Amino acid sequence: MAYPYRHEKETRILSECFGDPSARTVAGWKKHGGYQGIARALEIGRDATIEDVKASGLRGRGGAGFPTGLKWSFMPKNTGRPHYLLCNADESEPGTFKDREIIRWTPHQLIEGCLVGSYAIGAAHCYIYLRGEFFETTQILARALEEAYAEGLVGRDIMGSGVDIDITLHVGAGAYICGEETGLMNSLEGRRGEPRIKPPFPAAVGAFGMPTTINNVETLAATAHIARHGGEWYRQWGTDKSPGTKLFCVSGHVNRPGNYEFPLGFPMMELIEDVCGGMRDGKALKAVIPGGSSVPIMSAEDCRACTLCYEGVEAAGSMLGCASVIVMDENTDIVKQVRRMAYFYTHESCGQCTPCREGTAWATRILRRIEDGLGTEDDLDTLIQISEQMTGTTICVLSDSLAMPIISSIEKFREDYLALIRRGERVGAA
Amino acid sequence: MSDAPFRNPGWAGNTGEFDLSEDDVRGAAYAGERPPEGRHPSTSASYPFMLVERDPYAPLFEGRHKERYEKIRSRYPTAMAALLPALNLAQELRGHISPETMDEVASLLGLSSAYVRGVATFYTMYNKRPVGRFLIQVCTNISCNICGADEVLAAFLEHTGTELGDTSDDGNFTVVEAECLAACGFPTCVQINERYFEDVSARDVPNILKRLTDELAAG
Amino acid sequence: MADNGRKADTVTLTIDGHEVTVPKGTSLLHAAETLGVEVPHYCYHPGLSAPAQCRICLVEVEGAPKLQPSCVTMAQDGQVVHTESAQARRMRQGVLEFYLVNHPLDCPICDMSGECKLQDYVFNEGREHGRGREPKRVFGRDDFGGDVLYYGDRCVMCTRCVRFMDEVARDGRLTVVERGDRAVIDTFFESGLDGASFAGNIVDICPVGALVSKDFLHKARAWDLDHTESVCPNCSQGCNIDLHTRDNLVQRLKPRENPEVNGHWMCDYGRANYEWLNRPGRLEAPAVGRGDKRRASDWQHALHALFERLAEAEGASVRVVGSAFSSNEALDALRALAEQAGTLQAGVFRARRAEDEDPLPGFPILVRRRDLAPNVDGAGILGFTRVGDDDGTGGLEEAADHDGVLIVVGDELADQDESFGAKAGLFVYLGTFDSPAARNADFVLPLTTFAEEEGTFVNAQGRVQRFRQGLRGPGTAQPAWLVLGTLAAALTGGDRPVSAADAFASIVQRHAAFGGLIWEGVGSAGAALEAAHA
Repeated sequence: MAYPYRHEKETRILSECFGDPSARTVAGWKKHGGYQGIARALEIGRDATIEDVKASGLRGRGGAGFPTGLKWSFMPKNTGRPHYLLCNADESEPGTFKDREIIRWTPHQLIEGCLVGSYAIGAAHCYIYLRGEFFETTQILARALEEAYAEGLVGRDIMGSGVDIDITLHVGAGAYICGEETGLMNSLEGRRGEPRIKPPFPAAVGAFGMPTTINNVETLAATAHIARHGGEWYRQWGTDKSPGTKLFCVSGHVNRPGNYEFPLGFPMMELIEDVCGGMRDGKALKAVIPGGSSVPIMSAEDCRACTLCYEGVEAAGSMLGCASVIVMDENTDIVKQVRRMAYFYTHESCGQCTPCREGTAWATRILRRIEDGLGTEDDLDTLIQISEQMTGTTICVLSDSLAMPIISSIEKFREDYLALIRRGERVGAA
Repeated sequence: MSDAPFRNPGWAGNTGEFDLSEDDVRGAAYAGERPPEGRHPSTSASYPFMLVERDPYAPLFEGRHKERYEKIRSRYPTAMAALLPALNLAQELRGHISPETMDEVASLLGLSSAYVRGVATFYTMYNKRPVGRFLIQVCTNISCNICGADEVLAAFLEHTGTELGDTSDDGNFTVVEAECLAACGFPTCVQINERYFEDVSARDVPNILKRLTDELAAG
Repeated sequence: MADNGRKADTVTLTIDGHEVTVPKGTSLLHAAETLGVEVPHYCYHPGLSAPAQCRICLVEVEGAPKLQPSCVTMAQDGQVVHTESAQARRMRQGVLEFYLVNHPLDCPICDMSGECKLQDYVFNEGREHGRGREPKRVFGRDDFGGDVLYYGDRCVMCTRCVRFMDEVARDGRLTVVERGDRAVIDTFFESGLDGASFAGNIVDICPVGALVSKDFLHKARAWDLDHTESVCPNCSQGCNIDLHTRDNLVQRLKPRENPEVNGHWMCDYGRANYEWLNRPGRLEAPAVGRGDKRRASDWQHALHALFERLAEAEGASVRVVGSAFSSNEALDALRALAEQAGTLQAGVFRARRAEDEDPLPGFPILVRRRDLAPNVDGAGILGFTRVGDDDGTGGLEEAADHDGVLIVVGDELADQDESFGAKAGLFVYLGTFDSPAARNADFVLPLTTFAEEEGTFVNAQGRVQRFRQGLRGPGTAQPAWLVLGTLAAALTGGDRPVSAADAFASIVQRHAAFGGLIWEGVGSAGAALEAAHA
């Protein structure tokens, strides 16, 4: 039951209660099996919980797809120092709107996930870093958290286990880059949200200089279920390399956009044509960005055989990212949209690394000039070379994230650029 | 959705598949009023920090606001970590972060004023100058953009009679362009102070503005 | 590295085909430096933390998926590193192109031109033609207060200045404001850097012309300046500096690295006080005769006459006034001559003393000392007694009324009147400027300043430090050690010193505190006087 649409083909694990306000309370959440995951984790112990998550094959849902259990196992043991779990609820990847839904419909799902994660990595304090724009969402989570404290589910001696886990809501103030895990740590510490150079990795030197793990909202929500049912249970869905279910955020030119939950490996065309009710106004599909704006753009042809799992999208020439499927119809002005993306990355670049600070801004200006009909074919070569110079040369991957849509759009939609350059014609401007 | 019937949007729950009130969808029915002193320390930083009523010279960190700040401070191992929440609190009361506010926050936390300026200017949600009673942030990023966000933005500018970033003469509206607000399935998403308005199309704009002015009139 | 015990502390790697062994924990950038390979860098500075953000020091490390920032990547055993591979060069060219997208290329009016790292690197390996067609970003100029001007358009956002103020000066007055391509360096609005006492260093460490000195603004081109190793003469810390000179004038002082004394830094007080070295109206030729009888002379006649007077005065009571701006060589030669000429009653000197000292918090070895002269400690060790007040006046009552031999070296006697030395049997005044109080001098002899000669000072740490000659002295002015040493040699019949090294050797012979030191051994970095502080 995705929200605000649902589809009978869905496998509803994380999204079971989307659209059901009664699941927001502790009592309501418990009716759906809530807090059994953390109860079982406390029973089987830290190491076994990490093993369960390892066995589940769960991969980080924030975009990078790094195995969550492995990440947890990097945390040192018995350090005698505070450990921190940071929940990344700074959802700001264009096209992505799943974490907000998880939090506002099932705040306790996230709280439980945070408890499981904190317990597994030995953290007595978890910070949920919420993007500042989520006022309404944060109110819901705050109320739920207060309830959880009152019920003894969070705080001292949780559920009578002798384990202390605090959860604090930390509200950001508007910066895409704080969704990058080390940028998030800096922002939490009250600094400019500039990503940090690695090494040291967060598991060694993280927030406040202490061992730290950062997980996405959807990842932690999934661990609540894995803790409850075990790792193998989770593997009944998805593919070998991409186990489990995933929320797909579909936006753009489809009839029924929204969040839909499917096992990984679900066919992209079935998602667009069946689940989302097909293309709006019966238009033809032109392009899809499958993983939030930071991944290569796919042509309609690329989508035909594409299955939505990490390896499936990679085989189709792009990346699953956070499974934010942006669907564009035949009337879409690709050049304008790439320029808009470039502007976004320019606006959000923290400005530390030269290739990103200068490259994103330069690319935006060139794209704007092309859009204004003043471009040359040489500009396309320049754009591709700038993009290559922005790839793999910076502290974080923000500039890589712009390079990918630029390069892929010029490769796949060169005609759109040439129409503007040669004839001043905008594709899709009608 | 070009041929969809006219709807008065406000939240994305009105697709006919759920029988929910706006308060249900927004969570107001569940969250209730947030007390100014911030209730539990773990959640005391989460109070909405964009209110219609502001006073650029409001005393900061006094009385119940001091209580709330101290609760926030108690959640972090360093004073510096309380900087973003402290700035949020200041903006909530004063509506924007002036140099004087930066200075006061810096003294409170034992940081240099320049440092606070560096941090405050990094984040876009800190208004560096006063804004209207309603700050209207129209997402024009890709998912909203391909669904007509530019027209929505133009409609807001037209109907408020303002230029981008400027405040209307009556002090009610400031319209700005926003980056992705994470409501991409419900384009165009517009954030007005603490509220999200979703599924907004250009022709919905007069209704939304009327709703806001009605709210102002009702106090 | 046959010794196993040492092997554990070093790593051996290959850089550009050359094997190199370095201590563990050495960055690739430094390891390459030991081979004479300079990896371009902006944000990295050895005196600051390394944020690895300029991205121009990326090098290829075999086996690594991406290029690695050489400033923070530590050398490891068996690593194979390429700084000049096609990939590394292409990337550097790319980063340089990015810098030039918005850089104004106003080199013809930029003070940094000629010593600018952007200019150097682009000249070395930048693209032949820029591809930028877009209008450039304009930030304009911002007066940071103090001696510092900021040209935002030239800035490469390396943040060295911000980190210097935070980490070394511990004065968080600079910050990066805004983000992305809108980011600039600024202070808290108009508050500026006024009153900061080490802010001049941010001009030194700026790799481009973004931060420039108001004092030096448009004064000289970098390539016209001569650099001379010297020691800051403005307090007893003795920061190692370079004198930058042109047309026989000091144009500016720049710190010279010495980890034992000043690191990479110097204070603004020291930096700003050099104009006195350029002051016109110097004594240029010897003069002989008291008061109205004073007549111009030359060294040969003047020294001959003085020698005869000294020889006549044999056994007389001698008082000398030295200066804490004089070299050890001058002071000791003065003392030796006084002892030779008669019975030395007292050797005194005066020096200004500030109310308090001013340490550099992040590099606390460096302190702007209370003693505002370079050789207060040397003078003490060489047997001179400090007299007078903290403002450098007074304390010369006995000298003023002395009726024996009176020799003044380097003290301008600014607070004394024309009666000074009136009762002296022989009054010799050696200095750089004439003075009303020198009216009674039988001999007025022109000296060079420390900038016009070679020599040593002893700083507050008990460290002997050499300075070199950066300027030509006026007229026939001579170093004091040469004048005094020549006279002493004439009295004893010994060898006269022909170089500062000879004068220094004589100090070593005469003073246990200098025991074991040799001129060459003092070198550029100085040498600690063990005995002095034992």
